[in-house]
Amino acid sequence: MAGAPDDGTVLSEKMLATRFAEVVLPHLGDALSLARWLTGNQADAEDVVQEACLKAHAGITGFAGGNPRAWLLTIVRNASYTWMARNRPRSVVAVGDLADLDDVSPPPDSDADSPEAALIAKANSAAVEAAIARLPQAFRETVVLRDINGLSYREIAAMLGVPQGTVMSRLARARGLLMTELGGRHEPA
Amino acid sequence: MSPHENRPREDGLPQDPQDMKLMIHALVDGELDAAAALAVERRMAADPELAAEHARLVALRGAVASVPRATVSDDFLARIAAIAEVKDAGEAEPVQPIAATAEPQQQQGKVIAMQPRAARWFNSFDWRQMAASIALTAVLASGATQWLTTADNGSDSFAVAVANGHRRSLLAATPVDIVSSDRHTVKPWLDGRIGVSPAAPDMAKDGYALLGGRVEVIGDRPMPALVYRHHEHLITLVAAPRQNEAKSMPVADDLSAGGFLLVHWTDDAFSYWAISDAERPALDDFVARFRAAIIANPAAGSPG
Repeated sequence: MAGAPDDGTVLSEKMLATRFAEVVLPHLGDALSLARWLTGNQADAEDVVQEACLKAHAGITGFAGGNPRAWLLTIVRNASYTWMARNRPRSVVAVGDLADLDDVSPPPDSDADSPEAALIAKANSAAVEAAIARLPQAFRETVVLRDINGLSYREIAAMLGVPQGTVMSRLARARGLLMTELGGRHEPA
Repeated sequence: MSPHENRPREDGLPQDPQDMKLMIHALVDGELDAAAALAVERRMAADPELAAEHARLVALRGAVASVPRATVSDDFLARIAAIAEVKDAGEAEPVQPIAATAEPQQQQGKVIAMQPRAARWFNSFDWRQMAASIALTAVLASGATQWLTTADNGSDSFAVAVANGHRRSLLAATPVDIVSSDRHTVKPWLDGRIGVSPAAPDMAKDGYALLGGRVEVIGDRPMPALVYRHHEHLITLVAAPRQNEAKSMPVADDLSAGGFLLVHWTDDAFSYWAISDAERPALDDFVARFRAAIIANPAAGSPG
């Protein structure tokens, strides 16, 4: 309708703005963190999150309660992959490849008597960041969603569209790789 | 996969060392309830390798927590906040920008009010479900999905939905919406809610006590579910009203989904799905007795 909006339209516009302010704005930090880890840098992350927020605003009526952070991060994740497919087509991992990752069994444990825990605890944040950045995409997003964005297994499973058991095994694999790297342990072969 | 293969130890935790490691992760992530956490800690006390894994995980979590978080610059926040306001400005009647920041307090109450229900599902995630989902992943990964190959697609997704409903009921405070061992209470309650109710014989003398009933929503249809207890196991019996296109299945068909065993059969009025974590023979026995009970006393199955 091109004419002046009736009261209902104005009200709903107001309501949308309100919902946007309470559902989206408080979680921008998490949104940026996730986008940064998925795209690899802060400037791209801001572009992606802005795109995601436009989508979130358009779809805010679809938010049906629950965890607003998980809802926003789902949109951010999709926007990240769309953005990467457009801007860096070569770096995007095809979804079909993920199944192979899940088949890989966790690395065998070497000696359990470890000063590793101490080494890991002492690792500086630059080393941790580099280690996370080197993880395969599927592992990286799982560990970021859990340990940086603080989502529950159930929320991550819903977001990635995989069973919770898969979330758990990806998380274990991702952390295993991080611990291997930061603990100075060399993975056999 | 035989139901015996993944049978847990007495504390209910997985036997397999790799699966046990996943439970350590779950412990560190705060995904276990108190009882399961205690059981995992007990295992850790007895197993230095698990304890070492736990120490590494705690250290890793600390290290990851030290990674600086992305900061939201004022500039960026303003850009995002403008998304909602720009649209308002486009309207003939201008909306004060302050509306976006001043009203959250009012709305807050509504949002919080919605959360408890969601929190019930999100937070009460327990290890049984995890163990089941590990088992499900194993089934999917091995490709040995008998229920994918033996049944048609429609009943597959239905079976999974039934399994999910059953699993949720195990997580909820109570598996039933109406507690009663008396079918004269359960049937009218179901009739009153959704206008349909199956026969609800109490078979306590056979070892299957009627606990009550609840409403399951599968696809977009609400349907009645009865809950029976057999020793320590719960059996959910979903009775989907027959639709014209539903294929007749007078002989019970054994299935499994989501780590649970199912038996599916139909009669004139309903398509039944019995699901439980009980052993197959017990579930089969339940089905046989339930069917016999309905035939013996059809009045129990008449509407109302």
